[in-house]
Order: sequence, then structure tokens, then C-alpha cells
Amino acid sequence: MSLWVDCYRPKSLDELHYHDGLSARLRSLAASGDFPHMLFYGPSGAGKKTRIACTLKELFGKGVEKLKIDQRVFLTPSRRKLDVNVVQSNFHLEITPSEVGNYDRVVIQELLKEIAQTQQVDINARHRFKVVVINEADSLSRDAQAALRRTMEKYMSNMRIILCANSTSKLIAPIKSRCLLVRVAAPTEEEMVTVMKHVASRQNFRIDDESVIQEIAQDAEGNLRKALLVFEALKMQTGSLTGPITIAKPDWETYCHKVGDMIVQEQSPQRVMDVRTKLYELLSHCIPPTVILKTIAARVCEKVDESLKPEIMHWAAVYEVRMRVGNKKIFHLEAWVVKVMSLYKHFFYGIDMGSFD
Amino acid sequence: MDASIQFAFGEPSALLGGSSGPLDEPMEAEEFIPEFKQAENGLLVEREETAQEELLRITQDEEMIDFGESTLLNESSIFESDSTIRVDTESQPHTNPSANSQSQDDPELPDVRDLLQPYKKTTPAPEAANPPSALPSYRSPFSIRATTFDGRSVYIRKKPKKFSMPSTSASRRERVAGLLDIPIHRLMDEISLNEARRISREESQPEVEASQSTESALWVDRYRPQRYIDLLGDDRLHRDVMSWVKEWDYCVFGKKKGKKRARDEENLDEYHRPKEKILLISGPPGLGKTTLAHIVAKQAGYNIFEVNASDARSAQIVDERIRPALESGATVGSSKPTLLVVDEIDGATGGTDSSAGFIQKLVQLTYDRPKKKVKRGEPQTHRPLLRPIVCICNDLYASALVKLRPIARIVRFNRPNDYRLVNRLREICEIEGLRAQSRALTTLVGLAQGDLRGCLNTLQLIKARNEEVTEAVVRGATAGMKESEVSQTAVLNDLFAPLSHRRAKELGLGEEDLARYVNRLSHTVEASGATDRIATGCFEHYATLRRHDASFARYLSAGEWLTTYDVFSGEMRAEREYALLQYLPYLLVPFYPLFQERGLPKVERPTADWENFKQKRVNEEVYKSLSKCLLTAGTRHGGAFRHFAIDGVLQLEFAPMINRIISPPLRPVNKQVVKPEERATLTRLVDIMVALELRFVQERAEDGQLMYRLDPPVDAFVTYDGKRAADITVSRYATRHLVAAEIDAQLITKQAEAMDRPKAIAHAFFGDGDPDEPVGGEGKLMAADPIARATKRARHEQVLEEKVPTDFFGRPILAKKTSANKPASRSAKPPPPPKPAVSYRFNEGNSAAVRKPVKVSAFL
Repeated sequence: MSLWVDCYRPKSLDELHYHDGLSARLRSLAASGDFPHMLFYGPSGAGKKTRIACTLKELFGKGVEKLKIDQRVFLTPSRRKLDVNVVQSNFHLEITPSEVGNYDRVVIQELLKEIAQTQQVDINARHRFKVVVINEADSLSRDAQAALRRTMEKYMSNMRIILCANSTSKLIAPIKSRCLLVRVAAPTEEEMVTVMKHVASRQNFRIDDESVIQEIAQDAEGNLRKALLVFEALKMQTGSLTGPITIAKPDWETYCHKVGDMIVQEQSPQRVMDVRTKLYELLSHCIPPTVILKTIAARVCEKVDESLKPEIMHWAAVYEVRMRVGNKKIFHLEAWVVKVMSLYKHFFYGIDMGSFD
Repeated sequence: MDASIQFAFGEPSALLGGSSGPLDEPMEAEEFIPEFKQAENGLLVEREETAQEELLRITQDEEMIDFGESTLLNESSIFESDSTIRVDTESQPHTNPSANSQSQDDPELPDVRDLLQPYKKTTPAPEAANPPSALPSYRSPFSIRATTFDGRSVYIRKKPKKFSMPSTSASRRERVAGLLDIPIHRLMDEISLNEARRISREESQPEVEASQSTESALWVDRYRPQRYIDLLGDDRLHRDVMSWVKEWDYCVFGKKKGKKRARDEENLDEYHRPKEKILLISGPPGLGKTTLAHIVAKQAGYNIFEVNASDARSAQIVDERIRPALESGATVGSSKPTLLVVDEIDGATGGTDSSAGFIQKLVQLTYDRPKKKVKRGEPQTHRPLLRPIVCICNDLYASALVKLRPIARIVRFNRPNDYRLVNRLREICEIEGLRAQSRALTTLVGLAQGDLRGCLNTLQLIKARNEEVTEAVVRGATAGMKESEVSQTAVLNDLFAPLSHRRAKELGLGEEDLARYVNRLSHTVEASGATDRIATGCFEHYATLRRHDASFARYLSAGEWLTTYDVFSGEMRAEREYALLQYLPYLLVPFYPLFQERGLPKVERPTADWENFKQKRVNEEVYKSLSKCLLTAGTRHGGAFRHFAIDGVLQLEFAPMINRIISPPLRPVNKQVVKPEERATLTRLVDIMVALELRFVQERAEDGQLMYRLDPPVDAFVTYDGKRAADITVSRYATRHLVAAEIDAQLITKQAEAMDRPKAIAHAFFGDGDPDEPVGGEGKLMAADPIARATKRARHEQVLEEKVPTDFFGRPILAKKTSANKPASRSAKPPPPPKPAVSYRFNEGNSAAVRKPVKVSAFL
């Protein structure tokens, strides 16, 4: 009765569709009784959280599914109030410290200490420790990570930590060394197709045209969540999933592609202004600027000559780095746009235009 | 005025009989008023008031027409000046003829004045003012003899009586004939001549003073205007201020102006106060706002109580000091009424936020009626504010003044005419014996942008160095003088347009100086104090310049500078490395060589960034409400949707797709005639929307049409450039109506179910609702059907049965019947149910409130 993505989410390690080797390892880990700190990493939509949930179930049994969501209030040293949603069962709890941005250190310190200092009271619990799942660990600030490292060692008997991150590059080395790293790779297209077929069979409808789900899988680029959402959207919109179907792309992506096309079509001050308004529109829709830059760059690369591609990507990378330091994202986006326009123009006319000024 | 003048009124006791008290003392002009007010002798009051009226008229309107008045002029100058000698010599020649002529001309004089100054009021002296019987017969009834130190007598004219004698037509003609004896232009010439003489005399006065006073005094103080007529600058403005203060006269001094326009009357309220009880003078520093306030107050006969930034300005000050001062007078011994001057009020706190701030309190003061018993005046229980308040500020639009602006009368100070300032400076230079080129002075005024105080300080500095005032010296002395207070747009204009010739000349920059722009511009940018906003302004403006830029070289470097700027400032903020701050202005200067051009339209205030920011805030709110929605929905479904409510996922994947999922192509038809396949879609849609807590809310659009709005408005995320994505079908009103009705129906059913089986809710809350439950549950829509519900419940119970019931401490509990006589077993494994046919329900959870009596037969 809810979305497919949610209601067909595997609940136990046995139900998982792919990465069987990983599932087996997790199962044996959970059974061994000695459970380490873990760090799950992998691209978005690969199934990290699903695997974490399954592992927890394997560890503690059905009790981990009895969840409640609390809103906890923390006070910063500057007396500011922070609201953090804490999802917890009797055996574990999940937090997303990035909700509070720069103040994540406070949450980590206070919440973890509090948990670490209380023992499990449930006599029937299979393990003496509680598990803390920290989502979006790669956006933890440096301070928060530093706060984490000592806690991880000191309170090992009462608490285990499972970190969930997209990439390990932003985690400091001490944390990585304290964790068992588990990589959850994106599913292949075939695996995604299998999952979608499974959903269809559970949903009691037949897929007449396999090419549609093939296409969905291809388009999702390893993001199973996205694939399932698109799948459901298509099903809702067309009903039968047959005939010529265009895969629904997210609107921001379409819009980014439009911007990319604009850059390639014309290079003029006027066009710079047009692109700027579009960029503003994207930013105002809360699309992360790095995603904007990446999507547009990818689109531009599709359209231009082979020899230009590396340079465009190089500059996109350069400006992305700067953007992360700075505050005014639009400056960097536009600077990159101008750069690309200049490169393209230069390439197109093949001569140095500087002398025409 | 000091004691150096002794007015010896001719035989005062003989003249005025017993009631001569106040006149015996040496007195100042201003002191007449209150003292005479207190006096009970109506005669004296009237006389002195007229004197004061005259004085005012002279100073304010600077017109006089007859000798009699010129005598009065001398009188006024006597009152105000400190020099005895001059009075004697000057007044003597005028006094005598006037005193003589007066006796003959008097009856006609007031009419002449009326003719020439139709709008001026003349207070008619009542006949009782000078009762002939009270005066000695040997003196003209219209003059008072006074004796100076050296024994010479001075005749001072009293207020001429204006007898309302019925005049015949013949006498009027006679009078008119007499009037035309002297042509009007000659009269006017005479007036201006008198005026000029008086002004020159008064301006020569500081010279005398200067020679006497110590050299240490600041020129600014030494040449501060002492009188109304000394004021430089816009006359109209001074009059505005003066007339506002005068509007209080009726309230403060209790007297009415003689002739008054109807408009004036309307402007007064019940206490005869002007409508705006506060005067707000605004303008750049150094133009003489404070001086004006002081002079006007003094001129109008007030004692000044000044509160400025050096005093504590909190709300309680208003109660503790200001209110008593206004009600009883600030200085002991002075009986003049008080006028409150709040200087530098834009620095005061509490205008906007706190309700107890200084300004808030001040504003309140004008409204409320304090309960204090007043000492003076008639016994009134409540007394409102009865004294004028003058506030002075630099920035009229300071946030602190938000509350004050609507209720105050606002006077804006402008820069006075340059040539008047130059003239004044030249005079001062002459007096001080400083040789000055007038070109240098013009430059000085230009550089100071009208700031007379700054000019004077500079001149004094130059004098102290024993230099001549030349242009070069002036430039050297004024370096860095007026750098503050540059507005953001002004800075942007400086960056994008070359310096105008005029301004360059003012600043005295040569060609080569103009070429060296880095220092100048970086200073300007720095002085603006808002480099970030300047950067945004640069960013917004540079691309609007349609300059030919074939290789984007300019644009490239502009982008480079901007990104560098942003990286610097970002680094500075993040790492708290404020040492970087000094470099920031330099990163914006390159826009000058890149983009400066003459004759471009002025840079406008950048808005796009702000617009974007606002729009972003709106959308962020929507995202927030959506994620909240998901979380609360998650609590109902065992934390189901919590994985969507994460930043990147929500915006990039969930928001665009959910919009498509909830807008299937549905025909807007009646519920009864929906096709089966459509019904399935509809059911599914309703299920999803109920689960995600998305609703259609009925609203009335601006044009009065009913419409359904999605709540939270997630459709904002598929709307770019104001258009919805093409592949999403527009859901029409009828469709949405259908869906909304279905949602409501389902919610009601759910509620009913919840009432029916509270346990199920508890289960749903804790998230182990059976996963086998059909997702597309057709049963939901037909939930009213008892059979469907029954089967559902049966299944539910089966599921529950498999579960091991445990009590609060986690011990497994057997069915009540069995556990009653057996000790609770600790084993994790429950004993198998005795008979498969028997099912029981255990009221799980800790709530005892909804326990249901069940018969034993139900367990068998």
C-alpha cells in the first residue's frame, strides 16, 4: 500500500536479489557473535541501507523492525536548538547528523555518549551492544569525525557503529581503520531487471515488453531506487507498459540538458545571461550545484568534439573544487559556462580570437 | 547678554506704580516670557509679549518699514548682543527721531504694516495696555526711556496701539495718500539696506570675539551660528523647522497667534499640539542639523534638553529622565519650558525588535497619558506630552527609525549651496588672517561635499601649520576625509564607469592619477563595507554590458576574479582567517579595466540574486514540509519512507517521480461509472496518497474559482520556468475532486477501523504490519464491506498467533487461562498451542485503557 520501492524492500538477507557473496558474509558476521564497526559505502541506490537493515535483523531478530521516530532536541554551545530525528528500535538507532549541518559534532558527541554509557536492559536481546547507524557519514564535518573516533574505541563493549556513505574519500583515515569496510556496488542492468520482474510478479501483472524495463534499467545507471520509482511512475501513467514509452526523466535533469544544449548552440554575452537565469532557476529548486555542474558537463560532452571533452571535464572539476570552498555557487557555475563557451568557440573557429578585440 | 547692560527704566516705581517687580531686574529677552506669564499684571504680560512678537518678526521675516521698528531692532540687538558701546552709538541717532515721530504717525503705522505684509499677524495691543492715567503726562505714552551706563537716555518704543476707531472713508483716503508718499521700492531698498547694515554688524562681531577669546577654541565652535539669521543653507528648511516649533506655542505658552490660517488650526489636536509631535531632521553630517535645532529652540524660547549618543539610551531613560525633564524643566532655576533634542537617534536601539526599546518608548510618550500629577498649571489628573521633541539623524532609513518615521514630521537636510559655503569660509579666513585662494576654498567645499564642519576643521589645521590655503595644501589636508558613507550602487558605478570629469576635478586627480586606479577603487570598495554585495553587483552587471568580446577574454577573466573572490571569502569564513579580508576589495577592482565605459546606463541595484534566494527559501520550505510529511507517514508505517527524506534523494529522485506517480491519466467521471482498470489505478493512487500523507486541499483561487491544491505543494519541483513538465498529465479539477473524495472516504474508513481495533493501530505504529497484506488492497476501498473486514481480521489474528506474546519484562506469556496456575516460564520457546482450532487474542502493549471483556467461551 505504499510505494513499490518501499514495500518490496527486502527485509532479510535471504530476500536480497544480488550481491549474494556479500549477503553470505554479512550473515556469517552476524552469526559469529563478534560484530565489528562497519562502513557501508557505494553509490546511491545500490542498496546500502537495505543491507544494513537486513544485517540488523539477522543480528537481533524481528525486534529491530519495531521502529519509532523521535525528535530529539540538542543545544549547541551557543544555545541554539537543534532538532534531530532519531529512528530507533530496542536494539539500534539511526541518525542523520547532516540534518543539522555544521553542528553535527554536538549530535555525535551527546547522542553517542548517552547511548554508549547505558547498557542494554533487555535481557532477551541477543547481543549486549546496541548498534548506531549513521547515515550520510561522508558529510560529517571534520570535528564530528574526530569526535567519533575516540568514542568508537572507548565504548566498543556497549555500542557498535555502522556508517553509511557514498564514498570513503571524505572520511578521515582513523575512522576508516576502525571499521570493516563493506562496498555495496551498484547492481548491473540484469540484476535490476530481475528486481523489477520480481516486483511485477508480486504486483500480479505481466510485463509484455521486456525492452521497457531494459530501458529503465539502462537509464537508471545503477540506481535501483530510481529505477523502481520510474517503473512505478510509468506504470501509473500508462497502465499497460506497452508501446512506445519515453522513460520519464527527472525534470531537473531535462532542464540541465536544455542548458547544456544552449551552451553548445550559441556563444555570446546574451547567451551567458540566458544560461544564468536558467542556472538560477535550477539553484532555486534546491538542486545541489555540484549535481548541476556534473549533469550539464556530461550533456555538453555528449555534444562536442572528442578533443574538447577532456578539457571541458577538467574545467568542470576545477570549478567544482572551487565551488565547494566558496559560498556563491552561481559565480562558479557561470565561470565554467563562460570557460566552456570560450573553449568551444576557440575550437570551432580554430584560430585565436584574441586579436579581434 | 550679561550684566553689562543695565536698563534703567525711567522712574520705574513712579511709572508703574506698585506692580513693577520684574522690570527692575536686568533681564534677557528670552526671560521675559515666562516671567511675565507668571506675573499677575495683565498689562505687563501683554506688553512683553508684543515685544517678543516684534522680535520674532524681525528675525524671521527680516522686513521692517518704519523708524519705529528700527528702534525695536536696536532693542533686540541690545538684548542679544554683549556689547554695550555699540548699542549706545548706534541706537542714539535712530531713537530720537523715531521717538518723536512716533507720537504723530502712530495711528497709521500698523496699517502700513498690514498692507505690506498681509499674512503677518499683529497682535493688537489692548487698550488697557497703556492706560493713560497710569503714565506720567510728560512722556509720550508710546515710548519708554532707558538709560545706558554712561547716562544717555534711550527711548524704546512700546507696542503701538491699534485703536479700532471707526474710520471714515475720508480718513482712509487720507491715509492711503500718506502711504504713497514714499514709493514702495524705496521702502524696500531701505529695508534691505538696514538689513545689510545689521548683518554686517553682526558678522563683524565674531572678529571682536575671536581676538579676545583664546586661540585654543575650535573654529567650529567659534563660528557656530549664534542666531537664526546666521544660519547658512536652505532658508525654507529653517523656516519649516521654526514653524513646527512655533506650532507648539499655543500648547506650551498658551497664547494664540493673532492671525492664523484655517489650516494651522486644523493641524492642532485637542491639546493644541501639532499633529506630528516629533520632528525628525535628517541629513549628512556636518551640515548643521544640531546647530539648527539648538538655535531654533533658543529662538522660540525653550530650554534645551539634549540626549545624544554619549548618553545611555535605554527605555528606562525615557521614564527616569526625559519625562520629568519635559514636565518640569531640566535646569533648576530656569523657568523656560523644555524642548527635547534627541541627537544621533539612528544609533539608538530598539526601534524594530524589542518592544521596550528607546524609540518605542519615545513614540509611546507621544501617545499616552501619564498618570502623574503635574506640579505646574491647572490641576489635571492626566497629562499628555506637552513639549516638542526634535530628533536628529543621519540615515533617515535606519532600521531603528522604522517606528518613528510614520509619526514624525520629517525634514531633510540638503547640502547648502557651494558658493554660500565658500563665502562663509572666505569671511572666516579673513577674520582669522588666513590667506586663502577662492579656488582652493571651492575645492575644499567640493571635497568635503558640503560638510562645513569638515571644512572648518581643515582650515584650522592649515592655519595651525602656518600655511596658505592653496589647492595643493587643501588636498593634502583632506586626504581620507570623506570616505565613509558610500552606497553600494555608487561603488558599482565607480567600478563600471570612469570618473566623471567634474568629480575628477573635485578630487584633483590628473591624467596620471586617473590611470592609477587600483588604490582609489579598492578604497572605495572597502569603504562601502559590503564587499559581498559589491561582488554580487559586479556579477550581475558585467554580463549585461553588450560589449564585443569575441574570445570571451574579458568574461573569462571576470569569472576568474569572481571565483577567486568567492574562494577567498569562503575560505576566510570557514577557517576564520580574517586576515584575508584586506585582500578582498582588490579582487573586485579588475572590473574597472575590464568593463569600464563612459556613457553607460547607471548600474542598478542588484536584485536577481535576492530573488533567487527568496525563491529558494520558498522551495526549501516545501522540501522541508515534504520530508516532514514523509517522516510522519513513516511513523505510521514503521519508518517506511524515511529513506526518501534524505537530502539528495528527496530532490533528485523522489520529488520528480512522486509527481508522476500521483498523476495518472484519470477521466473525470462519476465514481459509479469508472471502468475496472481505472478503478484499480484510482485505488492505487489513493493508497499512495494516503500513505504518503499527500492531500488535495480545496481552495478558492483569486478569480473565485474552486481549485484543488496539492499539499504539500510538491508540484513545485516539476515546474521550471513556470511551466510544468510536458509528460505529466494536467490533473483537472474534476479528477482531483474525485481523488480527494476517495481519500476522504478512505481516511474515514481507516478511522473507523482504528476505533474498531486499537491493536491494529498499535501494530501499524510499531511497524510489523504483516508484509503479506495486499498492497493494492482493493479491500480498502470496499472496507465498509463487513466480509472483507472480517477476513482481514481473521488473517491478522493468525499472524499474531504465531508471535510469542511477552509481558513487559520480555517474558513470554501464555494464554491467561494457563499462565494463571503455572509459573511463568523463562524459556524462549512457547509451548505449542493445545488445539489448533482455538485462537486467542492477547492485548499486547502497555495500554490497559482499551481492555475488552471476553467470555471464556470465546477461547474454547
